[in-house]
Amino acid sequence: MDDVGPEGQKRLLDSRALVVGAGGLGSPVIQYLAAAGVGRLTIVDDDVVERSNLQRQTVHADADVGRPKVESASAFVADLNPDIDVVTHRTRVTKENVADIVPGHDVVVDASDNFPTRYLLNDFCRLQGVPIAHGAIYKFEGQVTTLVPGGPCYRCLFPEAPEPGTVPDCAATGVLGVLPGTVGCLQATEAVKLLLDAGDPLVGRLLFYDAMDMTFETAPYQRNPECPICGDDHVDSIDGIEYTSACAVGAD
Amino acid sequence: MGTVTWRLFADLAEVAEGREHTVSVDPDGTVGDAIDALLAESTGLRERIFDGDTIADDVNLMRNGSPADPTESVADGDELAMFPPVTGGR
Repeated sequence: MDDVGPEGQKRLLDSRALVVGAGGLGSPVIQYLAAAGVGRLTIVDDDVVERSNLQRQTVHADADVGRPKVESASAFVADLNPDIDVVTHRTRVTKENVADIVPGHDVVVDASDNFPTRYLLNDFCRLQGVPIAHGAIYKFEGQVTTLVPGGPCYRCLFPEAPEPGTVPDCAATGVLGVLPGTVGCLQATEAVKLLLDAGDPLVGRLLFYDAMDMTFETAPYQRNPECPICGDDHVDSIDGIEYTSACAVGAD
Repeated sequence: MGTVTWRLFADLAEVAEGREHTVSVDPDGTVGDAIDALLAESTGLRERIFDGDTIADDVNLMRNGSPADPTESVADGDELAMFPPVTGGR
């Protein structure tokens, strides 16, 4: 393929990608980044495989039920492409460990399932200059965007998360099984583009996917000069930010 | 009198009991007027989308595909949209 070629393939092999979450979104991301030959994959997840996951979490199989997802995902990658180095962290990404996990990666794929993790990754990665391929799902809908230094960050779009309990999460509502497959593939596409420095990533654009209507739409969004993370007078570290509820950046 | 169409995403569509709502606004109406017209037919939505007197931080407004402000004018046939962040991924 002209736009990748041996040089691009080498570039992927020399790349390091961090996938946060080895669930519905993380499964296709891990699968396609491994298949593409991204040389090092770091996978973070604190969960174990449950049978009810298998309708959508396609790197895990029936025999993996009860096994930590990072182990199951790592074994999947080893089967698919033994040339990939896999590093696993069986934990959640937290304010305390994020500085031990993120640095050293060329791209972060946010395949997490909760607002505190998403805001933490946005804030930390932006301050460190690491791009994020973001994807999130709700029942039959997906939202995808790409957050790179110089472009707007997630807080420019949504300064704060909804109050806890406002938006039901997937665990409470359920999700169309194939939905995270579609959205995760879009995130993997964006991650590969970022690693190859190819194409036109979803920067300053939010893509909406509606599985019921089978529509894809993008809406533009801008940098917020007053954004506490990437604005003109941004914070220097995440130390003063709480990632427990609405993820507000404190006024103090 | 003109009409504008609201498109709502994720839980907002559930609270408002529908993804699309067509409402009437005066010829010199604003996005804010169109919000009021939407709220008039969607009980419960006010509590979800307002934080005090202003639109909550987690709700984004668009008019014809671009970010919008409640004070800006609307024209007959405009498409308005309101969307929250979603966070599922498991």
